[in-house]
Amino acid sequence: MAASPDVSAASTDSAAGAGIRKAVVIGGNRIPFARANGAYTNASNQDMLTAALDGLVARFGLQDERIGEVAAGAVLKHSRDFNLTREAVLGSALSPETPVYDLQQACATGLETVMGLANKIKLGQIESGIAGGVDSASDAPIAVSEGLRAVLLELNRAKTLQQKLTAVAKLRPKDLAPNAPGTAEPRTGLSMGEHQALTTAAWNISREAQDELALASHKNLAAAYDRGFFDDLVTPYHGLTRDANLRADTSLEKLGKLGPVFGKSLGDKATMTAGNSTPLTDGASTVLIGSEDYARAHDLPMLADIVDSEAAAVDFVHGKEGLLMAPAYAVPRLLARNNLTFDDFDYFEIHEAFAGTVLCHLAAWESEEFCRNKLGLDKPLGAIDRSKLNVNGSSLAAGHPFAATGGRIVAALAKLLHEKAAAEGNRGRGLISVCAAGGQGVVAILEAR
Amino acid sequence: MTDSYLTLVNSGLSKNIAKKLGLPRPAILRRYHPGQPLVPGPVLLIGSSAGTEALATELLAWGLDVRRHAGPKDKLGAIIAVLDEVSDPEDLAEPMLAVGSSLRSLLPGGRVVTISRPASTADAPARAAARQGIEGALRSLAHELRGGATGNGILLDDAVDAQAPSALAALRFFLSGRSAYVDGQFVLVGSPQGELPADFDRPLAGQVAVVTGAARGIGAAIAKVLHRDGARVICVDVPAAGEQLVKVSNETGGTALQLDITGETAGQKILDHAHSRYGRLDIVVHNAGITRDKLLANMDEAKWNSVISVNLASQLRINEVLLASELFPQVPQVVSLASTSGIAGNRGQTNYAASKAGVIGMVAASAAAFAERGGTINAVAPGFIETEMTAKIPMATREIARRMLPSLQQGGLPLDVAETISFLVSDAAGGINGQTLRVCGQSLVGA
Amino acid sequence: MSTREAIALPELPSLSKLYVSALSTAARTKLGALERSHALPHVQHTVTDVQVSLEHVTTFQHLLHGTVRDSLPSVFVHSVAFPVVMSVLTRPDFPLPLLGMVHLGNRVRHLRSIDFSEPLAVTAWAENLAGHHAGTCVDVRVDVQAAGENVWEGTSTYLAKGLYVPGLDKASRPERQDFVPPQPTAKWRLGPEAGREYAAVSGDFNPIHLSALSAKILGLKRSIAHGMYLAARVINSVEAVAAEPFAWDIEFAAPVFLPATVALRIEDHEADGRWDSADFTGWGERSHRKHFSGSVRAL
Repeated sequence: MAASPDVSAASTDSAAGAGIRKAVVIGGNRIPFARANGAYTNASNQDMLTAALDGLVARFGLQDERIGEVAAGAVLKHSRDFNLTREAVLGSALSPETPVYDLQQACATGLETVMGLANKIKLGQIESGIAGGVDSASDAPIAVSEGLRAVLLELNRAKTLQQKLTAVAKLRPKDLAPNAPGTAEPRTGLSMGEHQALTTAAWNISREAQDELALASHKNLAAAYDRGFFDDLVTPYHGLTRDANLRADTSLEKLGKLGPVFGKSLGDKATMTAGNSTPLTDGASTVLIGSEDYARAHDLPMLADIVDSEAAAVDFVHGKEGLLMAPAYAVPRLLARNNLTFDDFDYFEIHEAFAGTVLCHLAAWESEEFCRNKLGLDKPLGAIDRSKLNVNGSSLAAGHPFAATGGRIVAALAKLLHEKAAAEGNRGRGLISVCAAGGQGVVAILEAR
Repeated sequence: MTDSYLTLVNSGLSKNIAKKLGLPRPAILRRYHPGQPLVPGPVLLIGSSAGTEALATELLAWGLDVRRHAGPKDKLGAIIAVLDEVSDPEDLAEPMLAVGSSLRSLLPGGRVVTISRPASTADAPARAAARQGIEGALRSLAHELRGGATGNGILLDDAVDAQAPSALAALRFFLSGRSAYVDGQFVLVGSPQGELPADFDRPLAGQVAVVTGAARGIGAAIAKVLHRDGARVICVDVPAAGEQLVKVSNETGGTALQLDITGETAGQKILDHAHSRYGRLDIVVHNAGITRDKLLANMDEAKWNSVISVNLASQLRINEVLLASELFPQVPQVVSLASTSGIAGNRGQTNYAASKAGVIGMVAASAAAFAERGGTINAVAPGFIETEMTAKIPMATREIARRMLPSLQQGGLPLDVAETISFLVSDAAGGINGQTLRVCGQSLVGA
Repeated sequence: MSTREAIALPELPSLSKLYVSALSTAARTKLGALERSHALPHVQHTVTDVQVSLEHVTTFQHLLHGTVRDSLPSVFVHSVAFPVVMSVLTRPDFPLPLLGMVHLGNRVRHLRSIDFSEPLAVTAWAENLAGHHAGTCVDVRVDVQAAGENVWEGTSTYLAKGLYVPGLDKASRPERQDFVPPQPTAKWRLGPEAGREYAAVSGDFNPIHLSALSAKILGLKRSIAHGMYLAARVINSVEAVAAEPFAWDIEFAAPVFLPATVALRIEDHEADGRWDSADFTGWGERSHRKHFSGSVRAL
């Protein structure tokens, strides 16, 4: 068969040998995040991801366009969703000839899809990419029990009636109870909140400090909505026009009234409430990225360069380090590689899995002991100016549909950097930090265009 | 929004029953599809002026079967009466009676179009009387037409001849299915400006259009028709309507711009989007509008102000930005949505009618400024259009509005409004400026 | 001390038969038909050519949250040897009654990696009959050999509650220490079926583990988790860092009544920059009663 005349220009014009080039954030789109069992109760991961993709297509006029590659994923995934992203693309307004892959790195999924595609763009393998993530805590997969699963598999293998009867006879009443997914770490049996409660207590983070961070998240997100910041970042879905978890009218008094939900065994030291922890959330996000050539050729905006990223993991299993503290290790490595310090950044986007997670990171980077003993540094990384932290709100207010959080942050930060650059004429930087289950973390640097 | 009565009285047994009962039997209108013939049959061209002869040549060039005299058995697709040289009321009898003697030969969906000149205070009284008289005659004969046939008139300014691009474009519009729900109306061609398209099925090829309120109803139909006619469309609506806006944008291959048009920076954002993403802006359709109906005695400030703000003030502000901007060499061709409520008034709609009448005043007053920078600005005043909004009107009221008031005995479709807008924003309509064209099926309300 | 009489069993004895035999011994002793011995039998039981089934290892590890490898998990080896241990404990001349015997703890030296395909020789004997403040305790020793060398050595200590053997001093009750739970590093949720499930993979069908009813018959308020279940899970939790050869020990305190939520702390220690050992403690998340503690050490 003759080669199609449509064979990508990327592979001929700018491929091997071209060296590293820039990957830029063009824009993003997400649907408002809903609290679990709320507005998106009956929407599947595929439905939500398709909606987010369609909104992105509409925003940038990508109808029937063949994108270089789409990468997205979900943390809680049905077995039928083995090709989730491909199915979503086929259902979207994009060209059905757009190739796709699924990715899963727990809560860092969304950020890692951006970084993986950015690297392909930098290498000249693709010209454009859409990164994304989606999660539904409402439409979560429920597995059958191990017992039932074993019987069903054996039944499937059985050939004779005798074998089939033998298989079925092994079924016990308790096998019929399904297994709902939890957020417990498989190796410890502790939920993410219980893990963070231990870390929060170890760093002596006060209840007040956590509530203040939560309050700032809500106030910042509400203000960003009010000034129209999300007009070109969010497309309504299923009647929801803003993130359902947002409480613009919350206050320290209201947050202060909530009882602790995690680390209750800590007694007086239990500080983590439903107000300073993220709720289970449904939602999807997407980010359009491309080479500079692609953006120029399509008259598309260039909001920010995707500079670099770093992943880290910590040994949390026997409590040597806190489950969600990996970014504390990834950030200094990333800064060192890029010859940067905290002073070189205009914005910090630290994913608020829990208020305690953010505050433990800030405390760790300010701690001489931690920076010397754990990071091997001569002096502390330093303090982060709180006025640069999560300035348009973060997960405590927006909610956290696991795999969708990275895309939310990248698109919003890129826009924020671009706005500041346009207003002030500088090329500011932003640091993104996302912690993930399994003791992992991914961090990244964006630079304004 | 379907009109099930329309379907009922046009099918089988129920058609006969409706006929016997003497119920109104609205026709299924002849609507435009790309590639269809301009008119359903031969065209009878009436008139003896120099313009008539020149026009005959044009019509033949379009491939039409042009007759100068009606045969007794001929079925006609259209009757065109060229009356551009009348100077005395006595001049009207012969051509009007000639039109009248052929009206029964008009095919369903046929057209009657008059071409004349507007009466002006500068005219001799007899000439003004003759010219003005044509308007009364045309509007009346339009009421007599059945079977979805319509009658409309083109008014040529004294400096414009019948072959001017906009005169020809208006004639094509009135003859075609694009004007299905325009009936009993006149359009004034004020200048010889304008350029006919290379392809009459894609008159907007290569152009970039902005449509506000594009997420649903008439706005969505406008986006689709402009896209069909060749334009790339920037679909604008409030962020809350984003989900439907995405659908319309993706169906039309356009871009979605979530924007509150009442915002201070809305005009600039629209210009920036068009400039950065397309490098040009040819068309702006001010369609976004809201109703907050209340009897004036019960009207509050919020209801009044929100309607004025969205329907009128936002357009004024965006127009100022368009006129002031140096981003593009020319200003775009603009159409604003007015309403027959703004012409005839409507109980409970003082605020809405104020905004819509205001639009009519605005386009008239803005025309010169737009013309100066290579653009135009016109308004379209829809009558009863079948939309989600009108579906909420109580049934009895809705039936009267649909059936009794317009001579076409039915409501129009969002598509009909969109077709008229697509005509007015085309390059060929460059000689039409500051006008308000009604798309109302010749509703009795107003004029 | 003279050498013990070596008794070679033809194959691994059936645990259920051994339990039945233990029941009948108990009944006959109670009726006075059998006089209880006051000394340990001077014998060792050996079974050679023991073959482990990979399927069995798989089931065992899946139940106990461990990784299935081709080498045998340490506690699994204990369950392989258990029938031989039982054959010693159920001898008519064994001085302590099997039923109601309490498992106090284990000490194991796992000397090298054991491939599942290696034929094993298991030898078990009892020693150290000793007085305890609550009765009499005994050590059961196990050597597991492969290719002629010891690969696994274990000692299990059992207590016969309320039974005092003449001639042994009764030890004084140690001072009770208040247990203050440390910060947990893990949590296990054990359902009421945990005992039955472990019985199915280990063959240890002691009625105190099987159901609330069968446990009540033996005087317990509810069924309790197997000590070796707890040991297997905790050793599995450390296995990722510990490589053979290593030693581990566990001491059982309050029984884990099912269902239960057990909180656990594992603390790793390094020496010369490498993992050296781990201490662990398990306790009731709500009761704050200590269930077990122990350690794993590199050898």
